[in-house]
Parts: sequence; C-alpha cells; structure tokens
Amino acid sequence: MARVTAAPAPVPIVVEGVSKAFGAVQALLDVHVRVGAGEFLGLIGPSGCGKTTLLKTIAGLVRADAGRVTVGGRTVAGPGRECSVVFQDFALLPWATAQRNVEFGLLLRGAPGAERAATARRVIAKVGLAGFEDAYPSQLSGGMQQRVGLARALAVNPQVLLLDEPFASIDEQTRRLFQDDLLRLWSEERKTVLLVTHSMEEAVYLADRVVVLSPRPGRVHAVLDVPLPRPRESSDVRATAEFAGLVDGLWKILRKLQ
Amino acid sequence: MTPPGSDLGRTGLTAVLGLLAAWEVLGRLDLSMFVPPVSEVAVAWWRLLGDGTLSRAAASSLVSLVKGFVPAAVLGVVVGLGMGRFRTVRYVLDGWVNALMSAPLSALVPILIALFGIRDTVVAATVFLFSFFVIVVNTLTGVRGTDRALVEMARVFGAGEAALFRRIYLPAALPAIMLGVRLGAVQAVKGMVVGEMLISLVGLGERLIYYGNTFLITELYAVIVSVLLLALLASQLAQAADRALVRWK
Ligand SMILES: Nc1ncnc2c1ncn2[C@@H]1O[C@H](COP(=O)(O)OP(=O)(O)OP(=O)(O)O)[C@@H](O)[C@H]1O
Ligand SMILES: [Mg+2]
Repeated sequence: MARVTAAPAPVPIVVEGVSKAFGAVQALLDVHVRVGAGEFLGLIGPSGCGKTTLLKTIAGLVRADAGRVTVGGRTVAGPGRECSVVFQDFALLPWATAQRNVEFGLLLRGAPGAERAATARRVIAKVGLAGFEDAYPSQLSGGMQQRVGLARALAVNPQVLLLDEPFASIDEQTRRLFQDDLLRLWSEERKTVLLVTHSMEEAVYLADRVVVLSPRPGRVHAVLDVPLPRPRESSDVRATAEFAGLVDGLWKILRKLQ
Repeated sequence: MTPPGSDLGRTGLTAVLGLLAAWEVLGRLDLSMFVPPVSEVAVAWWRLLGDGTLSRAAASSLVSLVKGFVPAAVLGVVVGLGMGRFRTVRYVLDGWVNALMSAPLSALVPILIALFGIRDTVVAATVFLFSFFVIVVNTLTGVRGTDRALVEMARVFGAGEAALFRRIYLPAALPAIMLGVRLGAVQAVKGMVVGEMLISLVGLGERLIYYGNTFLITELYAVIVSVLLLALLASQLAQAADRALVRWK
C-alpha cells in the first residue's frame, strides 16, 4: 500500500531584511539569510536573540513587520505546504498515539486514511520507533517524543525542514545517535534544512554553514562555512583537528557577542 | 472510581458500613423522632418502591432531569467553546455567566413558575439553570488552556479555523468539558429537587415536601436516600463517559 512518493526537489529559502518586534521588544532587525536548495544550515545565537522567531517567520507562523521571506520563490504569507517544523517542545498531541501523531500532518493535508497509516508506519520505522506506534506521548521518553515529532515532520515529505533545537532536551548519548539518524535521512532525501541549536559542536557537526545571530535585536553577525567532508555520520569527524578548529572558531565569534 | 476489591474500594466500603452502623445505633437510642434507625428507613424505602410511590416519583424526576440536563450539556459546551474561541462572544457573555454562576438560582424559580406556570417544565428549566453555567465555565477554561504550541503545530500542517476547532481545541478541552459535565450532573440533581420542591407537584421533590409536612420522617429519609442514590448514579454515569472519552490521561 505504501506509495513511495518521489521526494520533491528541495527549494531555497530567502530571508530579506526581516524585522520583527513584539511590543517594545525588537526580536529581529533587518535579517538577511539565504539557504540554498538542499543545504543544511545551522542557526546559533544567544538565548532570546530571535532564533525561534526567525524560524517561525519562515514557517509562516509569525508575520514579519518588514522585509520578505520566500520559500522556493513563493512569498511566505502563512504556513505553506513546502515547510514542516520540528518543535523545540515537541508539540505532540497528548491524546493521540505515536501513530496518530505522525499521521496528523497528513490528515490535515487531506491524505486518505490507508495512505496515511502506511506512510506513518514507514516513517516511524525510519526514525527507529517501530513497535511504539500505539504508545501515547506520556509513555515515551523525551528522545522518543522528539523522534515522533521528527517523524511527523517527515511524513508530509516536505521540501524544507525547520528544526528548533530538536536535541535540546535529550541526553548526550541519544543526541549523538539522533544526529546521525538525521544526517542519514538528509542524505537519503535531500531537503533544505534549517536547524536552530545552542550547541556549537552540533552546528559544526551537522551543518554546511552556520549563521550566528547577535543578541537582541537579532541580526546576522557572522556566517561560518563548514567544509568538513560528508558523510560525517559514519566517520570520526568529531575527533579531527579540523572539527576542533571550526568549533573553536565558532566559540571565538560567540564569545565576543556575550 | 476504584475497582471493587482494591484497597481504596474496601476502605470506602468500610467507611460507608461504619456510617450506617452509627446511624442505626443513633436511631435505636431514640433521641429524636427526626433520627429514625437506618433499618426502618430501608424497610420504608423498600415499601415505597414496592407500592410504586418511589418509582413513579423517580420516573417523573428522571424525565425532568434528562429534559433539563441534556440541553444544558449540549448548549453549555457550545457556548463555552464559542466563548473560548471568540473574543467578542466572550466579552458579550462573560458578565452574564459570572453573575448567574454565583447567583442563588433558587431565587429564579418563582420567575420560571410565572413563565411556565406550575408545571413539570419548571423542573426541567431549573435543572437546566443549575447545570448550564458550570459546564460553560469549565468548557471555556478548557479551551482557553489549550497549549499554544499545539495550535501553531496544527497551523504549520495546514489547519484552518475549522480543523483547529475539531482537531485541537475540542480534544484539548475535553477533560475540562467532562469535568464540567460531571459537576453539572450533580448540580442538575440539585436543581431537580429544588424545582420539584418549589412547585410541589411532581417527582421526588414533591414527596420530600409531602412527607416533611406530614411528619412521615422515615419515609422522608427514604426519599432523601433515593435522591442521594440518583445523584451518585448521575455522577457515576458522567464519570464513565469521561473515562470512555478521555482515555489518554
Ligand atoms: N509571541 C511573543 N510575544 C512576545 N514576545 C515574544 C514572542 N515570541 C518571542 N518573543 C520575544 O522575542 C525575543 C526573541 O524570542 P525567540 O523565542 O525568537 O528567541 P530564541 O533565540 O529562540 O531564544 P531561545 O534560544 O531561548 O529559544 C525574546 O525576547 C522573546 O521574549
Ligand atoms: Mg527558541
């Protein structure tokens, strides 16, 4: 039954001069970011600098006061079909099983029941949760809940994947496994990925480029290229001097911001 | 509720039996005609059940209860959802709901009698009034308490207003709604008795007034016990519905 839909070609994200204030709080000020089609971009910055706001603006959840966001050429005016989001706090339906949670995006996008169930089962297996389809979120660990959140985002087969600190509430060991899973998934079906993180190692390990936002009001302070070879998940990239040098470079940028 | 045979269930049963024993002893001491022994009450209850007095009264009461409570539950949930979701609706109704929620509703029954005449419709209307507001307020609270993150998540996946309502707000508010329905069910029994006592025409409430006025104290207690049993039944039914609907908690 599982209809394997060909992954749609990844699309670029262009953020041009975006500003956003919440009352007196200027969260973002004249932010310019380009994410190439199929690129993995890391976004890092001090707490409260507007990372989530930027991600939500791209997702169409937050309307910018000024500037423009386009995803695959379409100007974002609200949530669209290109993007899906993995939320920092999971945002799982507590009243639904893992299976139903993963089906939720497909349900809202009008996929027929049988296809929904089959796709969800396939993606659940892909994120390593086979056998937990009937578990409720309250019966799953934080890491497993986050995998459900990732599976839900992947199930709709988006061209753009927006991840908001997806590994923040997960222990180090699980996090590393999960990071590798994410890289593997990304290499299988190229998607444009924007990953918000607090971890310099994580940003360097995962991303092609890392954008550093300044403290509030958030603006692009620096962009760091990460020329580490891929695939990184099966090698010991973390142990190389190059990796350490890049993390150190990122730290030097961030330290000056504090 | 605790399953029978569990420790809590046994403790509860012991407490009830102890209370009944104390009642019996107190009644046997013959302190006052207003405290008949529980065994005599039980005999009276059985007799009133046998001669059809109780079942007739209870049947009439139940009809009023259903006629008042079902619309109160349906309308209460609808109004609560509307108030929870739409600021205008909330602004218009908030004052009314709060005022009527805390008002001594029995005081309104004479108005209902003036409106409907001395008829059993008044009882259904009283039931409605007593149970409606607590259901509205609980539903409203449930909707207002919906996790913003879930709403944003649903919007990302393309939910419009109707889908948000059906897939997020309603299920998120369901535990609060069911709590409101449970509290409302108990209030409904109260409203039923108050209404029946005030119109003194039908149902268990009329029997309360009758036996009270004629000093048939044992029979009076038998009716009170029936009312308590009815309240318990209503609450248990609502709880069963709650458990069936909110399985994930
Ligand atoms: N809906 C909102 N209403 C009011 N203020 C908001 C809202 N969303 C964000 N803010 C404010 O905007 C600023 C940026 O918030 P944002 O959540 O984007 O930061 P962040 O970089 O994601 O922070 P963190 O690293 O802690 O997650 C903060 O000062 C926050 O208080
Ligand atoms: Mg954030």
